[in-house]
Amino acid sequence: MKLLGRLIVRLVAVAIAVSLATFSLLSAAPGDPAAAKAGFAATPERVEEIRSELGLNDPFHVRYADWVTGVVQGDFGTSVLNEQPASKLIGDAMPHTVELMILAQVIALAVSIPAGIYSAQRPNGWFDRLTGAMSFGMLATPAFVLGIYLAFIFAVRLEWLPAVATDLPGPFDDPVENLRQLILPALTLAAGMIAIYVRLLRTDLIETLQQDFVLMAQSRGYSRRRVLWRHAFRPSAFSLLTAAGLATAGLLGGALIAETLFAVPGMGRLAVTAIFTEDYDVVMGVVLLLSLAFVIANFIVDALYAVLDPRVRHGNR
Amino acid sequence: MATVETNAAPIPEAKSFAPERPKMGVVFWTSVSWILLVIAAAVLADLLPLRDPDALGIRTGEIQRFESPGVNAWFGGDGQGRDLFAQIVHGARPAMVLSAAVTLIGGSLGVLIGVVAGYVRGRTDAVIMGIAEIMFAFPAIVLLFAVGAIWGITMAILIPVMAVLAVPSYARIVRGVTIAVAERDFVDAARAMGASQSRVVIKELLPLVALPAIAFGFLGFGLVIATEGALAFLGLGLEQRTWGSLIAGGQGLIREAPHLALIPATAMFLTIMAFNYVGDGVRELIDPRPIVVGRKRRADGPRPTTASASDALLSIRDLRTSFPTPGGVVTAVDGVSLDVRTGRTLGVVGESGSGKTMLLRSITGAFPVVGVQREGRVVVDGTDLLSASPASRSAMLGNEIGVISQNPLSALNPVRTVGSQLVEVMRVHRAISKAAARARAIELLEQVGIPRPGRRVDMYPHQLSGGMQQRVTIAIALANEPRLLLADEPTTALDVTIQDQILRLLASLGDEYNMAVVLVTHDLSVVRGWADDVAVMYGGQIVESGPTSAVFGDPQHRYTQALLESTPRLDLPIHSRLAAIEGQPPSLVAPPAGCRFADRCAGADERCRSEVPVLERLGSVEFRCWHPGQGEAR
Amino acid sequence: MAGTGSAHLRTGDDIVLRVRDLVVEFPAGKGQVVHAVSGVSVDVAQGETLGVVGESGCGKTTLGRAVMRLQDARSGSVEFRDHELTGLEGSELARKRRDMQMIFQDPVSSLNPRRRVRDLVREGLEIWGSQPGPFTDARVEEIMEAVGLGGEGVGERRPHEFSGGQCQRICIARALVMDPEVLILDEPVSALDVSVQAQILNLLEDLKADFGLTMVFVSHDLAVVRNVSDRVMVMYLGKVCEVADTQPLFDTPAHPYTRALLASIPGHELGLSDASTLISGELPSPIEPPSGCRFRTRCPLATNRCAVEEPELREVAVGQFVACHYA
Ligand SMILES: Nc1ncnc2c1ncn2[C@@H]1O[C@H](COP(=O)(O)OP(=O)(O)OP(=O)(O)O)[C@@H](O)[C@H]1O
Ligand code: SF4
Ligand code: SF4
Ligand SMILES: [Mg+2]
Repeated sequence: MKLLGRLIVRLVAVAIAVSLATFSLLSAAPGDPAAAKAGFAATPERVEEIRSELGLNDPFHVRYADWVTGVVQGDFGTSVLNEQPASKLIGDAMPHTVELMILAQVIALAVSIPAGIYSAQRPNGWFDRLTGAMSFGMLATPAFVLGIYLAFIFAVRLEWLPAVATDLPGPFDDPVENLRQLILPALTLAAGMIAIYVRLLRTDLIETLQQDFVLMAQSRGYSRRRVLWRHAFRPSAFSLLTAAGLATAGLLGGALIAETLFAVPGMGRLAVTAIFTEDYDVVMGVVLLLSLAFVIANFIVDALYAVLDPRVRHGNR
Repeated sequence: MATVETNAAPIPEAKSFAPERPKMGVVFWTSVSWILLVIAAAVLADLLPLRDPDALGIRTGEIQRFESPGVNAWFGGDGQGRDLFAQIVHGARPAMVLSAAVTLIGGSLGVLIGVVAGYVRGRTDAVIMGIAEIMFAFPAIVLLFAVGAIWGITMAILIPVMAVLAVPSYARIVRGVTIAVAERDFVDAARAMGASQSRVVIKELLPLVALPAIAFGFLGFGLVIATEGALAFLGLGLEQRTWGSLIAGGQGLIREAPHLALIPATAMFLTIMAFNYVGDGVRELIDPRPIVVGRKRRADGPRPTTASASDALLSIRDLRTSFPTPGGVVTAVDGVSLDVRTGRTLGVVGESGSGKTMLLRSITGAFPVVGVQREGRVVVDGTDLLSASPASRSAMLGNEIGVISQNPLSALNPVRTVGSQLVEVMRVHRAISKAAARARAIELLEQVGIPRPGRRVDMYPHQLSGGMQQRVTIAIALANEPRLLLADEPTTALDVTIQDQILRLLASLGDEYNMAVVLVTHDLSVVRGWADDVAVMYGGQIVESGPTSAVFGDPQHRYTQALLESTPRLDLPIHSRLAAIEGQPPSLVAPPAGCRFADRCAGADERCRSEVPVLERLGSVEFRCWHPGQGEAR
Repeated sequence: MAGTGSAHLRTGDDIVLRVRDLVVEFPAGKGQVVHAVSGVSVDVAQGETLGVVGESGCGKTTLGRAVMRLQDARSGSVEFRDHELTGLEGSELARKRRDMQMIFQDPVSSLNPRRRVRDLVREGLEIWGSQPGPFTDARVEEIMEAVGLGGEGVGERRPHEFSGGQCQRICIARALVMDPEVLILDEPVSALDVSVQAQILNLLEDLKADFGLTMVFVSHDLAVVRNVSDRVMVMYLGKVCEVADTQPLFDTPAHPYTRALLASIPGHELGLSDASTLISGELPSPIEPPSGCRFRTRCPLATNRCAVEEPELREVAVGQFVACHYA
């Protein structure tokens, strides 16, 4: 489990770097939070008082340490919006974003695994060429452009689905309505990933299918299905796994877009609103959590990789 | 001896000057044209005879509010009757300026850093890549968004920030390429000639790194366009009018005037697509592959019709195996007939590309290429594998027929234990409990000479040495006690002493199980030492076959003679001159009309070049040569 | 010292290259090292071809690269014509190294795929052209002709248009342009088919005569080495087992490992008795090589003494040096 130790060290290092960067970025922001908090009519003395109350006069590292200590204890500071704790706003928004991302990943994998496998079996066949062209198109479509197309077709023209998810019910309260509202944003997010996954799986699988051990499995009289699933698929699934980890970054950025476009009350939308209201505690919290989510996703991928691939487990690769 | 014979399809030599690069298709050139068009729009927007993009059409009466696209205004008008076409043309500039600046600055920095990291390696590399990894952890759009919200979005802010964000991607790609390139021997060769470090980087590395970097630059260019659009969409656009701001403005009006969002969105989509496509095209330039130029058409010659030897366990008749390649249809096995009886070992020798491996694959039907066509008959123990039902074929493979391949590591599934692979082959073919199969697996490992089989059975292939791996593949091949064993270069990847051990093992197992064995190899000495009979292949055909001692003792075919004479031997004087065979093996796409060896044969005449030699028999040896037996006996 | 010693080193003016106690190690992580070359001494006389044989991983390639200074040695010395090469750096090293050139195993990977054949062959000219020496375009043409690359338009083509054998000719031409005295060939024909292999071997013999070359020929193929070499060194796990003139080495091999190697060649009757030549097991790890004689874990003659005492090279017959207690 040396490997696990290494991964954890890396996780912590990246987390520190990310939080430090986020914090310094936002403390460099123009505007005076103390003045903002004190309100228009406050005297300079009052502002100064609030400033020391907020610890804004402390040196950078002290403020950073305070902030981190707070964050670790679940205290993300206070939102300018009704003086609510930032953690509450974030906590309310998070489940929607998490659900959206999971939905998007599931859609992406559910579409791309069969499509990739089918393409790989007949390289350059009509299906392969079709998925190839479609992937290429999808990769060239920015999320917000795709979102607009989808909204136009399914909400405006066909009127099958709602264009906004403003009053999103919980997935367990009203699963049907929840899905109806989230399906367009999820598709918007999933499209880019589908494109990447399909091509990756296809290329990888074509290569694996030509490898000796697959040919040997065939020449031992194994059924097509056994050769595909027991021999060829697993090694190819590794690259898919890596791609899924890396795609999380795109997914986080995409969530910003999709949530804004379809008015999903998630973290992305929260961040957008917070930025325009100069609600820096909330912004910092969201940016930190999003970055950490990415780091953790990749951590999980690396760990899974080690579990699944004996060559990594034994440090041979 | 380790002629590296790839298992992949033999790609025939290019016989004439190969075109340098793949042909770029229509879509590529359309994409290039589109990019040029957009660039022209960006540069010339002010000079073009367009309406003023800011002129309010509802005032002048020229364009209606939300006018639909039409003859008057091609792309329609917005809420104030401004001309959308003019707006789009003018909006091209900021995106192009931004993308160009970001790509150039970020790209060159990234290339520089990547080359250094990849060439210097060591600590520098570790530090650079560590920083890059942390930068990757930031979702770029979130960061940009935060930066934009705090300082506002202007070119002066966006260009440096996006360029910095782009650096790690370029650095990573370039580093990967650099490492791969720097490992190649030509870098050492240059150093050996006294080239300085800077010369190595500039002359040897950069040219090879440039193309992938440029290809990636095109993709990156598209990405910048998309990112700027996304920012504008989030309300953090540049102060200039851009496609992104047009889309953002139109988005809220999607019910009233869908064209306001959809047309700029489509313009953006097409542009990004064009950049991606060109990037992809550039990437294809990276590996210039020879394009095979075909030669004369092949004239059909008489095929040998050997009397069927009914006691043969494996009997191949007129086998012809072909598959399509970019250079034409390759006929890798062309009219091969052979028999192997139980208890005998047939050695198949030939140079790389002569069709040996394809011959074996034609028996099992497992090919690394698609679209393979097989004709003829491959009869094993009375069943023709080519016409048999898939079920009966599957029942024979791995069961009555065992297979061993050249590279033992790649022949074993890397992610499954040795034991599970052994158990699998038993349980697929016969009703046997898991426990019994495992017990038998350990027994088999012991039998093929693996020490401590009880422990090894739970190991993964990469934990074993090459020799041990090959023993495992032999154990798998023998698990169901086959009657026919097909071995493709079973010892080529191994050292001589290990080769000796493996060949001894094969011979003793062959006796023990009373198998018919086909041993494919390029190594004449392996055949000489271990095969009862030999078949010499050249250009997809068997040119000579018979008992090993007879064929090697008194070769009839000129190719067999030349092959024997070109091999260094231990019983000739030191520094003896070898009889090299000049020239190259024939193309398998369009083989020569007559004897396939004619181009390289010292004894070739007109007849050799035009007529396919008929099969002749001399004693127990069969061959196809018009002028046989004129070499010295070896 | 194991399979070490320098009894076999010769004196005389005609010794071009002399390697003494060369040690090359690679870090293997966790403070461990791969003992790739462990105290090898050898010399090569003017006009001689030294064959170096041994199984994969025995350090043949590393030896060649260390002699070329493409690889730094941990200790030991490499002398070229009585000039010490170890310790030289920068342009001085570059100039000295010019007199030795190396040919690599994989001819395709040895050629930069982006460059034209003529530019590849002219590379030495580009680097050294401004300095005094034999660097002229006429010489490039002459050498291309000599290696069989003469002919219209050949120089304008790129490496991928050539077969492996032709690529190896290009590599040889490129090295010859430097006008080297010593050519180090690392498995120059291993990647080639038998028929092409013969072409290259013949070419090398011709060039050796025409250009007065001295060669170090590294290969695992005993038959090939026997055919081209005047003197042969057998290596095992970073050590020298036996050094002798080619004829005695192949006719009366004295070291158990040499005998085993020869007996492993299929289809060849050497009259070596099976029991003494059949070696068991596999190569031990070069990270923790066996104590004493490194061959002892596989040697049919090994005794306790072999585990504790390292054999030194000693002369068992005229010109035949063996590192074995019982040879
Ligand atoms: N760059 C390197 N880093 C670490 N170990 C190395 C390196 N190069 C070689 N080795 C190790 O040094 C030992 C000797 O290797 P070397 O390549 O010299 O052997 P060789 O006799 O040329 O083998 P082959 O016949 O396979 O070419 C081997 O154990 C090898 O794994
Ligand atoms: S048929 Fe003619 S060309 Fe062919 S091998 Fe015999 S002599 Fe040579
Ligand atoms: S007998 Fe002893 S010294 Fe000689 S080779 Fe064998 S182990 Fe080494
Ligand atoms: Mg080597």
